[in-house]
Amino acid sequence: MVLDKLSTSLKESLKKLAKSIFLDERAINEFVKEIQKALLKADVNVQLVFDLTSKIKERALKEVKEGNREKIIKIVYEELVEFLGREKSEIKIEKKPFKIMFVGIYGSGKSTTIGKLARYYSKRGYKVATLGLDVHRPAAFEQLRQVSEEAKVKSFIFKDKDPVKIYKKFEKELNEFDIVLIDTAGRDALSKELIEEISLLNKEIKPDEKILVMGADIGQAAKNLAEGFHKSSGVTGIIITKLDGTAKGGGALTGASVTGAKIKFIGLGEKLEDIEVFNPAGFVSRMLGMGDIEALLEKFDTEVSKEQAEDLGKKLLKGEFNFVDLYEQMQTMKKLGPLNKIVEMVPGFGSLNIPKEMFDVQEGKIDKWKDMMASMTKKELEDPDIITTDRIARISSGSGTTTAEVKDLLKQYKQSKKMMKMLKGKDPSKLMKKFRNLKLK
Amino acid sequence: MFKFLKEKLSKALNVFKEKAEEEIEEPKEEIKEEVKEKVQVKTEKKKEEKKEEKSVEREIKEEPKKEEKISFIQKIKEKVTTKVIDEEKFEEMFWDLELVLMENNVAVEVIEKIKEDLKMDIVNVPIKRNEISEIVEKTLRKSLEDLLNFEEFNLVEKIKNNDEKPFVIVFFGINGSGKTTTLSKVANLLKKEGLSCVLVAGDTWRKAAIEQIEDWANKLNIKLIKGQYGADPAAIGFDAVAYAKKNKIDVVLMDTAGRQHANVNLMDELKKINRVVKPNLKIFIGESITGNDAVNQAKEFDRAIGIDGIILTKFDADEKGGAVISVSYVTLKPIIYLGCGQNASDLKNFDKEEVIEAILA
Ligand SMILES: Nc1nc2c(ncn2[C@@H]2O[C@H](COP(=O)(O)OP(=O)(O)OP(=O)(O)O)[C@@H](O)[C@H]2O)c(=O)[nH]1
Ligand SMILES: Nc1nc2c(ncn2[C@@H]2O[C@H](COP(=O)(O)OP(=O)(O)OP(=O)(O)O)[C@@H](O)[C@H]2O)c(=O)[nH]1
Ligand SMILES: [Mg+2]
Ligand SMILES: [Mg+2]
Repeated sequence: MVLDKLSTSLKESLKKLAKSIFLDERAINEFVKEIQKALLKADVNVQLVFDLTSKIKERALKEVKEGNREKIIKIVYEELVEFLGREKSEIKIEKKPFKIMFVGIYGSGKSTTIGKLARYYSKRGYKVATLGLDVHRPAAFEQLRQVSEEAKVKSFIFKDKDPVKIYKKFEKELNEFDIVLIDTAGRDALSKELIEEISLLNKEIKPDEKILVMGADIGQAAKNLAEGFHKSSGVTGIIITKLDGTAKGGGALTGASVTGAKIKFIGLGEKLEDIEVFNPAGFVSRMLGMGDIEALLEKFDTEVSKEQAEDLGKKLLKGEFNFVDLYEQMQTMKKLGPLNKIVEMVPGFGSLNIPKEMFDVQEGKIDKWKDMMASMTKKELEDPDIITTDRIARISSGSGTTTAEVKDLLKQYKQSKKMMKMLKGKDPSKLMKKFRNLKLK
Repeated sequence: MFKFLKEKLSKALNVFKEKAEEEIEEPKEEIKEEVKEKVQVKTEKKKEEKKEEKSVEREIKEEPKKEEKISFIQKIKEKVTTKVIDEEKFEEMFWDLELVLMENNVAVEVIEKIKEDLKMDIVNVPIKRNEISEIVEKTLRKSLEDLLNFEEFNLVEKIKNNDEKPFVIVFFGINGSGKTTTLSKVANLLKKEGLSCVLVAGDTWRKAAIEQIEDWANKLNIKLIKGQYGADPAAIGFDAVAYAKKNKIDVVLMDTAGRQHANVNLMDELKKINRVVKPNLKIFIGESITGNDAVNQAKEFDRAIGIDGIILTKFDADEKGGAVISVSYVTLKPIIYLGCGQNASDLKNFDKEEVIEAILA
């Protein structure tokens, strides 16, 4: 996903550094320039890129010696992690009601993120409510109502043009909740009226957290935007959305630098479960192609039973993956989220060239697979390679599917097999070690 | 892919070469002063043009930009000492320009392409040192102008000249880019031109997507064709086209759900809509605030169903304008309008001068 490109270019530049005959300032400069390019391509603010990389360069010149060229990657990693904050920075719910207000530019994902967090916190035992103060966008109230309903939390909505009035109307009732998630209209730093409105809301509501929601694809506008929001409402946290695309989210680094706030969560899709706690080390690990086992484990914890997770994890890692349990595993995958997101998080797997189609299993397909498999003989199940045109016709009529669909299943099987072959014998802990000892050749 | 542009660029660069050779003969004194003056005049002019309503604060914020501009030109001048620019010198020279473009949100990939094109003609061509900076800037300006110099795209005329009714437009793009709002703005504009429209609630996925477009339809007093949440958008589009045919409606404007171009399933859904609805015009809705990903977005949507025209939204929230360059560069498709606000009338014609000023000034 997202950080793949960045990690590739970093890897490329590492290789270049390794190949240079003399490890001199010039070689290091060139490497640093590659890092700069990678960060600029990821939409980090131009000035910030130079600040970040000047530190990296300074350290590299001092610490990287002949024989430990790979240390430069450790320095890059450490400096970036340092910048993002060494620890995970979770939102601490320390009073009741704990009011979190979401601000951000038009369409950045505020209302959707509120739904995700409503679900996230109520799953963890908090009594959550949402409050709709977007009085501008058509059907904003209706959207928040539907989102809250899906998350099974109460929403406070009242059709009025004055957000302060709406807040006042519900103020007392909100006291009964542990967490109140407040939706506001999209706005930008240039529109005076809307900025005044948010300042006023900030003053009246005194939210405990003010979260700036930023899309992963925002470009150099991020700086002025973050400055504008910080000035008007004192941003205390950042959430990056749409990290499931190809954008790299560098704008959020800019946001963090401008506001001094930490990144709290990342959004990875449109569904309510598509959210993860931001993990600085994991984020940077992913950038450098080292995988993020922690985020994977956390996801396992809440989404599937431990047993299931261990089972699937083991099978994945051992490369034991056969046709018969493809269906079952896909079922589990469905709960975990798209396969590409999972694979991405397993150390070492991120660097493999897994066919893209592998990851795009349509949900409806899985049910059909079950039917098709039921129409197969034992022999066919064990050795799908024997399935020829005649057999395809038989299976399709037996299962009420088209021959194209049967062929599709076979294709999927072949791809899975190929992938599992690649993964076979790749013990993640070994991979990690291997990476750390990476001799740059 | 970039053939068209390359041609345009090399045309611009030929002009540059001719100019360089022409002027190489007669030496000019005090060029340094001249350049400086010119720049100041230009920035002042720009300042005047800025709308009054902008706060004092923003005026102040522009100050450093002026200086940057001067120093950018000065820097280039100081670095050039030879009559022929070798590759290394060019790299060095271009770096400052690269930064200017990056800060103005042009995608790195696009900058690199522009650079390669410029390099071909500037490196190892004899030029007077005094004129170098000016020439580079001029060449770049010219190439940006050429890049944005697409055929006149008059949507209203296109629709009116279309024999067969209805004229079907599909709007698509990534999540939250402004599809629904922009569709409504375009409908508003067409209606004012005396064209009858129907809207199609083709996003059956996102929460309140149907209510949102319904709100717009009511506000604009335009008929909406809708289905249930979860229904097949292609089928709804198909029905809408049939309805329009039967009722002799001029234009069908179809909304679609936001999608990431990396999501193959959703891109397949879009391809299906394209196959079933057979639109006359496919409009990509992008955001002017998008950074480097604009390149991927435009490329992938273009590859999936083919972009006929582009509308960039949220121009009112953007001071930089670089995304225009990025998407034009990769698609070579016209920018039809720019979105500049949340209201029905906040749509403006694309003005290439304004964009170039925003980027180079
Ligand atoms: N792919 C993807 N889409 C997302 C994500 N978060 C939000 N979206 C989508 O982005 C679009 C905009 O989301 P909203 O929640 O309406 O954004 P908003 O900031 O509330 O928008 P305004 O209220 O209009 O300013 C919707 O289509 C969401 O489904 C994410 O993490 N990934
Ligand atoms: N300031 C400004 N806001 C805009 C513009 N275009 C759209 N918006 C706002 O951006 C937000 C998202 O717009 P939508 O039209 O819902 O975007 P969409 O692409 O349909 O979103 P999804 O269907 O969720 O993918 C809304 O708050 C709009 O009011 C524009 O040109 N300027
Ligand atoms: Mg919203
Ligand atoms: Mg929409």
